[in-house]
Amino acid sequence: MPDTGQLSASFRDPSGFLFTDKGILYRQINRVYSKDYARLMDSGLYERLVKAGLLIPHVEAGHVSVKSDAGFKVIQPERAPFISYPYEWSFSQLKDAALATLSIQKRALKLDMSLKDASAYNIQFVRGRATLIDTLSFEIYKEGRPWTAYKQFCQHFLAPLALMSCSDVRLNQLLRVYIDGVPLDLASELLPARTRLNFGLLTHIHIHAGAQKRYSDKTVKPQANALRVSRHAMTGLIESLENTIAKLSWKPAGTEWGDYYENTNYTDSAFEHKKNLVSEWALEKKPALVWDLGGNTGVFSREAASSGAFTVSFDIDPAAVEQNYRSVKSKKEQNILPLVVDLTNPSPSIGWDNRERDSFGARGPVDMALALAVIHHLAISNNVPLPQLSQFFAAHCKWLVIEFVPKSDSQVVKLLTSREDIFPEYTREGFESAFSARFKIHKTEAVRDSERTLYLMEAQ
Amino acid sequence: MHFAPLPYLDPGSGSIIIQILLAVLLGLGVALRASWSRIKSLFGAKPKADEDDDSNDA
Repeated sequence: MPDTGQLSASFRDPSGFLFTDKGILYRQINRVYSKDYARLMDSGLYERLVKAGLLIPHVEAGHVSVKSDAGFKVIQPERAPFISYPYEWSFSQLKDAALATLSIQKRALKLDMSLKDASAYNIQFVRGRATLIDTLSFEIYKEGRPWTAYKQFCQHFLAPLALMSCSDVRLNQLLRVYIDGVPLDLASELLPARTRLNFGLLTHIHIHAGAQKRYSDKTVKPQANALRVSRHAMTGLIESLENTIAKLSWKPAGTEWGDYYENTNYTDSAFEHKKNLVSEWALEKKPALVWDLGGNTGVFSREAASSGAFTVSFDIDPAAVEQNYRSVKSKKEQNILPLVVDLTNPSPSIGWDNRERDSFGARGPVDMALALAVIHHLAISNNVPLPQLSQFFAAHCKWLVIEFVPKSDSQVVKLLTSREDIFPEYTREGFESAFSARFKIHKTEAVRDSERTLYLMEAQ
Repeated sequence: MHFAPLPYLDPGSGSIIIQILLAVLLGLGVALRASWSRIKSLFGAKPKADEDDDSNDA
């Protein structure tokens, strides 16, 4: 991001925008939003939401001048340690983000405010919890007015959650294509017929999609007198969405690596040795941000995180990421963020001018990356030559902890049983030579009771 | 008619209509629940604690 101007993620809302100055993140509040902002702060809503961990805290930055004539105030919000997107979340992460949004709306209504948008992109995981990061999402509630964010809520949260729960968990990837959420007619078409027996899904998705089609060429003014939604009616609507979502579930089973650690060729002592090395090297290099690439359920991410680093644990398998997130929740871990990312096709930059949501790479580089038991998948299953792998890792991190898994390892033998071995360079020497072109190898440790080697390297 | 500024998001005509119909229906339940707890409190029952007030265990 350029260090002066406006961030490309916040330009639609006329209430204000984000910008950075000398590396610090600020939010300008425009004059048109001054009354709503005053209500947020004076009603006690801000304090209650921040206390509940539902809203990002901020301080008013009186010393920073507004960036444009429309400006009224500048605030400095706490920065989320890592920005992630709904197409990178596991089922429970999206579900918690949805429930957090509804919980915020309920609390807001009690203090005569309402969410004017319900975008999944406004939620980030901060200290392990789904948190609203857009301080300008609130407006003064006028009783009678329908909830303008209802459609957006259904598209961003309910439709993908229903598809993940009732059709296939991988359908959250539709959010990568549809930046304003899954179109309801598409969701209605893809959902199994039995979802029409579920009152919430029948009404909020199927009938809702039908009504959108029917009224697509008609104009309805939300403040017309006949179109009133009383406070009770609004509460009923929010509670119905809440109940519908609370009942949606997904059980991670039978997917790629869900039970990987039970099926490895590792002995306990190899596993422990690897954990100790990761933790020792993280403590030594003191990275602020670590990416665990191919992190599975996050065992090694936790070793890195124990050094105090904020660790993002990426894996291709939604079941592993789901398990990882569940343990973040149950142990109340604050510095681990599990995300679903396919390293062979990581998140692209999407949206307006391809700049609204950052690509995977644009959110780096980081101080340290872990690539444990992953190189053989990339080099052999995915045919990426070693020099390109070395280039990839060097672009994304300063320190790299990487494990080389030789051809004689039973996991690699398995990968090669069904295909021709076209990888003559895939040897320890070939690996070291390819990676030496981009890195300085600081440490080389044979993993105890295994044929694997762990390296600590520094990008040059 | 009260004044309210137009929202910056297009709420969608069909979405507004279905929302109003649904909200009326669902609101009945909330209204009944509210009246029922008022009746109960007349007879000395304590209102249920509001789970949304202090924590977010979502």
